[in-house]
Amino acid sequence: MSTWFQLLSKLSAYLLGIIWVLPLLYAFWAAFHPPEYATQFSLTAPLTLENFVSAWDQAPFYRYMLNTIVITTLILVSQLFVCTLAGYALARENFFGRGFALALVLTQLMVMPEVLIVENYKTLSDLGQIDTYLGVGLPYLASAFGIFLLRQTFKTVPQELEDAARVEGLSGLSLIWKVFVPLAFPTYLAFSLVSISYHWNNFLWPLVVTNTVASRPLTVGMAIFGAPESGVDWSVISAGTLIAIGPLLALFLVFQRQFIQSFMHAGIK
Amino acid sequence: MLKVEGVSRIFGDKKVVDDLNFAVEDGEFVALLGPSGCGKSTSLKMIAGLEDPNTGTIELDGKDITHLGPGQRKLGMVFQSYALFPHLSVKENILFGLKARKVQKDEQQKRLTSVVDLVGLGEHLEKKPGQLSGGQCQRVALARAIVSEANLCLMDEPLSNLDAKLRNEMRTEIRALQQRLGMSVIYVTHDQVEAMSMADKIVLMNDGRIEQIGLPEDLYNRPATVFAAQFIGSPPMNIIPAGDKLLGVRPEHIRIEDGGMPGRVISCDYHGADTIVLADISSNGDTESLVKLRYPGHALFTAEQNISIHWKPEFEHQFSSSTRTSIDAQPTN
Repeated sequence: MSTWFQLLSKLSAYLLGIIWVLPLLYAFWAAFHPPEYATQFSLTAPLTLENFVSAWDQAPFYRYMLNTIVITTLILVSQLFVCTLAGYALARENFFGRGFALALVLTQLMVMPEVLIVENYKTLSDLGQIDTYLGVGLPYLASAFGIFLLRQTFKTVPQELEDAARVEGLSGLSLIWKVFVPLAFPTYLAFSLVSISYHWNNFLWPLVVTNTVASRPLTVGMAIFGAPESGVDWSVISAGTLIAIGPLLALFLVFQRQFIQSFMHAGIK
Repeated sequence: MLKVEGVSRIFGDKKVVDDLNFAVEDGEFVALLGPSGCGKSTSLKMIAGLEDPNTGTIELDGKDITHLGPGQRKLGMVFQSYALFPHLSVKENILFGLKARKVQKDEQQKRLTSVVDLVGLGEHLEKKPGQLSGGQCQRVALARAIVSEANLCLMDEPLSNLDAKLRNEMRTEIRALQQRLGMSVIYVTHDQVEAMSMADKIVLMNDGRIEQIGLPEDLYNRPATVFAAQFIGSPPMNIIPAGDKLLGVRPEHIRIEDGGMPGRVISCDYHGADTIVLADISSNGDTESLVKLRYPGHALFTAEQNISIHWKPEFEHQFSSSTRTSIDAQPTN
């Protein structure tokens, strides 16, 4: 009974894995072969890098990549900073209205960002930040998820450890920096991965708030590049997609083990 | 050097620590002894600055430190859980406070070397706490408290997570270290053996209040209250109602001799070197009145056997049954 169950769960895991990875495999196939092989499979199909060259030439990928990196980094750094302070305060400081503040943060988890697109656009337009890096990043500079996650992690730091650090002469920010942050390192790693992949792939909001190459990230650039009016060339689009996700994919493959471990540690699924 | 005056701590409507008064002299080893929940740990935390007293003052070397932050009091502290930073190596753990206080590098190195020699951690400096045994962790915690060269070192049940054998070893070691360095120590424990064997002075607490302060032999020979009498010594002192007074006599002072008080054996508990005999000494018709006595060697009494017990008058203590405090004639100093 249990061996059957194990076999079944293993099989379904493989099945789901294959379904998940198929589009990626297809992208690889289409990108490395001439356009006439885009929709037919043949082992003898010649390999080529032509699609990458034409994709790179047709769209300012270099600029898009730079934009995406700047925006994702801006968001990540600011999220880590804000969430650390907020998470610490909610976990360890006794202040009036702490429960209410936490409830507000948790409520925010339930609000879909898409609902706020129009309102956010108006705000950013008032601030004169349309089509800027800050404009793309501003709605995400703090993360309710990150605050909650770090609060939970900070709550598990033993009181005696904090006491020891205080007796040894640390207080305030240095206490957070030297004790809480290192102890929560796996959580930071896991959260960073979630944040990076979300904002690297974020599409709708950047599409709304960017107008030019100056701030347009890869996802939006790709969409314009592959828009039907410019003619659908699957091979070139696949090559462009690979360029877009390449850095993220490489990052994940290199740090795979650490990532999975920190996810287990941080309890994110 | 440390003076605690009228210190109280209230949680909600409960006085966890109620009017604490005691002093620690230079180089003195003071044990804060009491059952769990008696307020001894809270008292230590107030001295460390980790809890804020509601009333009273705490003075260290003539300076009022009552509301000073814990980092500004220049104390060393050893915690029950050791409280080592798991992400730092042994060396970094020991130097943690010196780095936080920005002590010069060569001075750090000098102190590290001497402290590591003292506690014997030479080959483990680069290891992480997770790779050490309980006893080694305890040594690191000790080293971290000593390296600050603070005059007063606070210890919160530092040995309670160790096994019995190691606990005995560390007890001797901590005491030797304290005497060698001339440190003043406040040592919180619920273990009377630790307090009796290590301390110069014992502060016995119960229910947030001090029951008695004195030398270990004072607490044993001249308990001020019934609580003190029963907390120190194992098995605890027998308390026998006698009219409007309570008589106290320790099990080890009761002998089985002819011509004494008649009693009836209830059970025997063989401990190796001696046997704890439980006997009923109520006279006929009275309610049961049980005493324990320590009989050297292996006692071969059977249940219901009649015996006769006796103790010398100088071993007898008297307490008032209303206040439960000692009414012995105190030796005049």
